[in-house]
Amino acid sequence: MTGKPHRLAEGGSRIDRSKPVSFSFDGKSLTGFEGDTLASAVMASGQRVFGRSFKYHRPRGLVGLGSEEMNALVGVGIGARAEPNLRATQVELYAGLSAISQNRWPSLSFDIGAINNKLSRLFPGGFYYKTFMWPKSFWKHVYEPFIRRAAGLGKAAEERDPDTYEHMHLHADVVVVGGGIAGLTAAEAAGASGVRVLLIDENPGLGGVADLTAGKIGEGSVADHAAGLAARLRAMNNVHILARTTAVGHYHHNYMMAAERVADHDPSLLAAGAPRHRLWKIRAGHVIIASGALERPIAFANNDRPGIMLATAARAMVTRYGVAPGKEGIVFTNNDDAYLTAFALKAAGIAVRVVDSRARPDGALVQRAMAEGIAVSAGSVISAVEGSLSIKAVKVAAYRKGQGRVITEKRVTCDFIAMSGGFNPVLHLWCHNGGRIKFDDALASYRPATHSDAISAIGAANGTMSVAETLTEAVAAGEAAAKSVNAKAKASKIKLPAVTEPKRGPLETLWFAPATGGYNEGNKHFIDFQNDVTAADLELAQREGYESVEHTKRYTTFGMATDQGKTSNINGLGVLSEATGKTIPEIGITTFRPPYTPYSMGAIAGALTGKLFLPVRRTALFQWHTDHGAVFEPIGQWRRAYAYLRTDEDKHAAITREILSVRNAVGLLDASTLGKIEIKGPDAAEFLDRVYTNMFSTLKIGKCRYGLMMNELGFLTDDGVTVRLGENHFLMHTTSGGADRIAAWLEEWLQTEWTHYKVFVTPVTEQWSQFAIAGPKARAVLAKLSPDFDVSNEAFPHMSFKSGRLGGYPVRVFRISFSGEQSYEVATPANLGPGLWEAIMEAGQEFGMAPYGTEALHVLRAEKGYIVVGDETDGTTTPIDVGLEGLVSKKKADFLGKRSLEQSYLKGPNRKQLVGLLTEDPNEVLPDGAYAVREVKDKPPMEMIGQVTSTYMSPTLGRSIAMALIENGRARMGEVIAFPLEGGKVVKAKITGTVFYDKDGGRISA
Amino acid sequence: MIVVTCPVCGAKGDETDFHYGGQAHVRRPASHDPLNITDELQRDYLFIRHNPRGLHFERWRCDRGCGKWFHAARDTATLEFKAFYGMTELPPEDLQNEAKGPWADEFKSRVKAP
Amino acid sequence: MLEARFESALAHRDGDGNTYVTLRELNERGMIDVRGLATDKKFLAAAKSVLGLDLPKAPRSSATWGDMRVFWLSTDQWLITCPRAKAQALSDELVAALGVIHSLVVNVSDMRSIIRLEGERSREVVMKGSTLDLTDGDYGPGTVRRMRFAEIAALLHIVEEQVIDIYVFRSYADYAFEFLLKAARNGSEVALLDERRQLPAN
Repeated sequence: MTGKPHRLAEGGSRIDRSKPVSFSFDGKSLTGFEGDTLASAVMASGQRVFGRSFKYHRPRGLVGLGSEEMNALVGVGIGARAEPNLRATQVELYAGLSAISQNRWPSLSFDIGAINNKLSRLFPGGFYYKTFMWPKSFWKHVYEPFIRRAAGLGKAAEERDPDTYEHMHLHADVVVVGGGIAGLTAAEAAGASGVRVLLIDENPGLGGVADLTAGKIGEGSVADHAAGLAARLRAMNNVHILARTTAVGHYHHNYMMAAERVADHDPSLLAAGAPRHRLWKIRAGHVIIASGALERPIAFANNDRPGIMLATAARAMVTRYGVAPGKEGIVFTNNDDAYLTAFALKAAGIAVRVVDSRARPDGALVQRAMAEGIAVSAGSVISAVEGSLSIKAVKVAAYRKGQGRVITEKRVTCDFIAMSGGFNPVLHLWCHNGGRIKFDDALASYRPATHSDAISAIGAANGTMSVAETLTEAVAAGEAAAKSVNAKAKASKIKLPAVTEPKRGPLETLWFAPATGGYNEGNKHFIDFQNDVTAADLELAQREGYESVEHTKRYTTFGMATDQGKTSNINGLGVLSEATGKTIPEIGITTFRPPYTPYSMGAIAGALTGKLFLPVRRTALFQWHTDHGAVFEPIGQWRRAYAYLRTDEDKHAAITREILSVRNAVGLLDASTLGKIEIKGPDAAEFLDRVYTNMFSTLKIGKCRYGLMMNELGFLTDDGVTVRLGENHFLMHTTSGGADRIAAWLEEWLQTEWTHYKVFVTPVTEQWSQFAIAGPKARAVLAKLSPDFDVSNEAFPHMSFKSGRLGGYPVRVFRISFSGEQSYEVATPANLGPGLWEAIMEAGQEFGMAPYGTEALHVLRAEKGYIVVGDETDGTTTPIDVGLEGLVSKKKADFLGKRSLEQSYLKGPNRKQLVGLLTEDPNEVLPDGAYAVREVKDKPPMEMIGQVTSTYMSPTLGRSIAMALIENGRARMGEVIAFPLEGGKVVKAKITGTVFYDKDGGRISA
Repeated sequence: MIVVTCPVCGAKGDETDFHYGGQAHVRRPASHDPLNITDELQRDYLFIRHNPRGLHFERWRCDRGCGKWFHAARDTATLEFKAFYGMTELPPEDLQNEAKGPWADEFKSRVKAP
Repeated sequence: MLEARFESALAHRDGDGNTYVTLRELNERGMIDVRGLATDKKFLAAAKSVLGLDLPKAPRSSATWGDMRVFWLSTDQWLITCPRAKAQALSDELVAALGVIHSLVVNVSDMRSIIRLEGERSREVVMKGSTLDLTDGDYGPGTVRRMRFAEIAALLHIVEEQVIDIYVFRSYADYAFEFLLKAARNGSEVALLDERRQLPAN
């Protein structure tokens, strides 16, 4: 598989022969030059095989020039930095680069999986759907592991990625995608008018394929002109260039994503702190697509053998890197452009002949080839290829357009083939956001038509293959783009130099180069190289009735590999067209989806990994909690202390201790996350009457009231205590999770429905640290802190409010309780929170005070039958369902949700109602969410009549308690219902009221 | 990601800086005559929405700007915004004339009212 | 008597010295949220009588008077920043001056944390987390606007050309600071923005 070095003695516009670069491929030490790609350096070493194919494990070599490369996918880097599936054509060589081939075991030249190739009759199109069907029991243990192992190509690193990634946002008036002569010219024209231009190109340098293009612009070559343009653009301070950056997606209103490979080419940048990749999120005024065209392969028998390349890629190998694709080559074409490759090969001293499928090609380049003595076999195709790891010879056969199989063949020795089936404009970005395209017969491909965004396409991306026309089109597009974002933009005044270019003859479509046999006679004409889809597979799909191209795509997986059909799409449509007798436009085209080329997951995540993966909200006491053994639980984005574990204590022991300390002495809870909203205005009371189910206009100043909120459907959405601070001034508490939502909800109704109300709403949740001092000794602790207000039960009864000071701390104190105990919630400005908390803990020490977490809080409230919106409710639960109809006003004419509560479907007798549950075995704690059934049967299905909403072991009662929503529950007091659990166990529980502790409520107002 | 412009504060930005609030110009029966609402009227208010291909009137909130709600007229096929207008306003007259479905009647009845 | 102890959200955090802009918490500013109608002349006059300056009416603008700044937040909302020690007294004065005029004044000095970015590239660092085009001439000194920053809500204040304050709700201060440390890490400078900064405002 490795031959002699193929580096030519001279030539190579991209490489610096004075700077050798050592690297390794599959463990073998090799040397290339600065400027090489991994592809050119490996080719220079004589190696042809880069990997094995996906399904058949056929040896595969380099085919393409850049991001369209479908075979030479390699793994680059080692250990944590190993990245699979990179296109070798895009990997820039650097000293110490380590790359491996993929999808082969144990080695490239001998691969066990290649047996699939021998068995290929067993893997026809639709193989996956036909094979992995039955028996059902095979799915989990046979098929799925097989598919998982077979799917994908390279292996991802298993270690954590050591590099960083980031996002960057940018706005530009004009974004030009593609730095070839079209894009450069358009950028200059737009930039000359003064607007902000961004030019994006996925290559390290600018110029695109100017160096591979025939003709003269002015006195110089096309490449000279491109170099001049690039230099002028770099000098313009309103034109910015992003190189090594792939425009991966185009979205609504000219939003674009572009992935920049910042440091892949130079590890020293990483060491200096650079992100490896940067994802640009760009908003453009106008987008110009100048992304060029991709050459089409030709579908001939065994067209995937290593050594068969695209004609432009072979040309680039010689002219850019001074690498010979082989010693003796054949250019196989259906168009004039590939003749340029023949000239380049000949100039480099490589033997070459041309096989042209057209009967009478006569363009200027063809004539030149003949004049230069290059053998041209017109009206011929390659009908067979000899060799597997490398090519030994081909068979050339006479061919007339439309011929189904060839009759006579002639053997011709060669060791590589440069093929060209024409060019496809790169339409991906144009189509990502719904751009329309039209079929162009001369190109035998699609080109852009119309688009609803401000976007234009120029040059080869627009199907314009002539240099002269491209330049004219580019200047016009650049000027128009500038004008579309700034009406006052001046004309660019660019004077285009004269262009001379060879006159081209027409292309003749060749969707299928016939062999001696037909589609299904042992010849593999690859259409989609990466997914191993052949012309025969597509034809079979047609015969099996997959008429829609979208169905054929999914059935055969054609166009679904990582290259997203860049080189295969139109060829596949061509084959389908011939198989069905329909035209290509009649066949239709599959959807183009982002990304244009795959980019890293790291770039997608950007900086938001590790600690930044999800925003975490901390109360002012976070550090104190951490220092005192707290384990945290997420409540939305908040982290709340769940329980405080002392040395040698598990969670259960800590929770039990915390609960008993509240019931028997006093506890301290960080309740800072509760939502707090100030509401003020002459209509504030009336407004609250509209948003709460119960009445607030009657609340007295300095008093607190518990309220329920419904949405317009009549379902509970939030609850909390609201305080009247003044005649027109209220402070509303919401649930922790509801704080932002309810503030927005109040604003919405004020702004959109009751616009006549004079009410202001200001959320103040984070202004305050708020702590609940709860337990029989709560008042004693508060008194010890020397408040400047009277804390006696008479002066400060349950459900009232005081504002004052605790020494140096300004406080708002609410006598409210979620535990059923005597309880004071003390609020102080958040930056004073840690100090006040510690002062309270110190004052409470002599009374046995302990901090308690959210789990103790939940058990305490459940013992009292207090609901939690979100536990006892599920978004379809009404206040009546949870037994709080007493809080639904009958006096108010209107409040949110009122009319819906009267709808018949919320009134029926079969609504689920909240009840308490006592299990028959007091030590049995029902699982949360357990279903009650009407009748226990041997196996499901069983009719469900309700579910457990809260369930705990109550240390206060020394037994388990639960609440549940049970069909018609309140009429079933005393009834024993059954909860079948997983594993066949059935737990029985008696329906009771929801208040388990201190039923007359004496403790709360003690 | 589409670009939205707030007619209240002029903030222009990605749709994620805004909050979409569904169909505009929906009448809430209970705000007008709370005691005489048929089940059908309430059903329509809660659940029935127009879903045209083309001109659509909708509500947005300037979430990361002034916090105000406003109206927009948008073509649901091209995603082009035809107009942004205030929360208590009706669309520009030419768009009112173009309006179909429930909006057409709504605009006519509102224009008649003094 | 109990002495109050002050502890801001980032009291225990400092820049790690490995950033290309300097980052620090400004915890000496107090803040007052003021709601009132910009169309209500009595409201505007009463506010001016206390503040000594007109409440700014232009979106995203701010006004400065001595050690006090007023940010426009909405058509009926302003944020006053002043030395923390003065905030409660100023808030009480405003409430008294406004009396029965429809308004809502709340001392919210502890609700947000302020992180200051200083350095030539401070705008670039913000743009790593925000879609706002800070290279645009619209964002001159004095500009204030709410924004989405990384994954959270924030308030942006361009103090000077190269000095930016980011206001975040207190509970998110740690997250915002972490993000800024990462975004401003030495070596992650964005070359393209060098050219942008030289552009005149258009």
